[in-house]
Amino acid sequence: MTFDRVRIEIEDGVAVLTLNDPDVMNAAGEPMLDDILSALDIIEDRANGARCLVITGAGTAFCSGANLKDRGSGKAKPVGFVLETHWHPLLRRLRRLHCPVVTAVNGAAAGGGMALALTGDIVIAARSAYFLQAFRRIGLVPDVGSTWLLPRGIGVARAMELSLLGEKLPAEKALAWGLINRVVDDGAALAEAMKVARELAAGPTKALALMRGLYWDSTENGFEDQLDLEYRTQRIAGASADFREGVAAFLEKRPARFSGD
Amino acid sequence: MPDFNKVKVETEDGVAVVMLNHPEVMNAISVDMLEGLIAALDFIEDRSNGVRCVVLTGAGKGFCAGANLQGRNTQTSKSGGAGSVLESHYHPILRRMRRLHCPILTAINGAAAGAGMSLSLMGDLKLAGKSAYFLQAFRRIGLVPDAGSTWMLPRLVGTARAMELSLLGEKLPAEKALEWGLINRVYDDAELMNEAKKMAKELANGPTKALALIRGLYWDSPENTFEEQLDLEYRTQRIAGASADFKEGVTAFLEKRPAKFKGE
Repeated sequence: MTFDRVRIEIEDGVAVLTLNDPDVMNAAGEPMLDDILSALDIIEDRANGARCLVITGAGTAFCSGANLKDRGSGKAKPVGFVLETHWHPLLRRLRRLHCPVVTAVNGAAAGGGMALALTGDIVIAARSAYFLQAFRRIGLVPDVGSTWLLPRGIGVARAMELSLLGEKLPAEKALAWGLINRVVDDGAALAEAMKVARELAAGPTKALALMRGLYWDSTENGFEDQLDLEYRTQRIAGASADFREGVAAFLEKRPARFSGD
Repeated sequence: MPDFNKVKVETEDGVAVVMLNHPEVMNAISVDMLEGLIAALDFIEDRSNGVRCVVLTGAGKGFCAGANLQGRNTQTSKSGGAGSVLESHYHPILRRMRRLHCPILTAINGAAAGAGMSLSLMGDLKLAGKSAYFLQAFRRIGLVPDAGSTWMLPRLVGTARAMELSLLGEKLPAEKALEWGLINRVYDDAELMNEAKKMAKELANGPTKALALIRGLYWDSPENTFEEQLDLEYRTQRIAGASADFKEGVTAFLEKRPAKFKGE
């Protein structure tokens, strides 16, 4: 299905969401964010069978962040307004999504686009892709969850450096820092992401969704709270059809066939 | 030396080597073994036994293969579903390790999978043999990581790598774990136990009261705000500053001789 600035396809349990405004490096203004939220409605509808989500960008960039040119049209809204109306609902829904998320960072990921790239549970980048905390270049602070995600991904020292200096972080260095998971040749990010996504979509997606939830919550919890959450979550996973299948397959020494139930 | 259920404990010079001892199943964890671990902790925590450092390792080729699935059916019929043994056995053990009065080293001599990986990460210092590997095996049977995995992993390697390990369930070789900062040292397999004992002896001869306070500070740190942690450092330093080891440490420094710490 095609929206004005976003494409969405679901095949074999994998939903691919493509940011589709290549003329502006997929800058995310309100129209694109509206489209992303509409696409999420489709992905979240279980009847459509998405068991893994891939997010990527059309053309040479992943997403260049806020669309500064869109701001001028009509009455200028206060800076930050679109965070509460669009970005934050989007982030919340991605955090609570029922299936894993893989981001295929095919090119530049700047500002809010960098934050969006990092919401992937698995982040796969093209070799020439880079990450850029562009905010300081226009006198703003990092947003779209950047200041929460970055220190938890790579530590405070490196997070500070990225945001204060605003220098490009090449994909290879992001990999070495543990910010992302894979680097592949240019043009191959989406293919590699699809490979990983198909593997995940064929897995025990109920447990996979529960574990991504555990990691999202982990940094907010103390050790005791997290043990308690692991216990409560394991009870849910332990009652799933996939767990019964997993144990049966293990004992029968055959590959498991997970249904996501 | 005490020999508990599927757990062996040997003490020498203040070092207790705790060995998961069920090599036929790569030291897979059963309720029996967990009760053996609890008995071992009783022994270690008894100060009259003079333990000032613990080394946790596995007998045979593996460190620990995680929960024993073969024994599952009989166990769960008694205890009521996956996860119940977490509350009854694992969590009390993890809490006691967190609050232990002395440092813990893990000597990861082979595969550390599932809850066995969680146990291996409970070491303040984690030493591995070259052939050892780590495996978040949970997703292979449709479960989520437990035994503290989801608390420890993102704090050790960051969220991206923690997610990858748990969602994809691929083996993480010791060398890569070292590169990622998950563990502290990798040795040749044959050297691992000697090196672990050497390091443990060094720690056991140190100011173990302060060392225990240090490990406690790092355990608490990620749960605290900056202000709270400053306060905790202050209160903890008052305790360390009142210790005999502090007096000895300062005296030895002024007399330019090696300190003789007692852990008091």
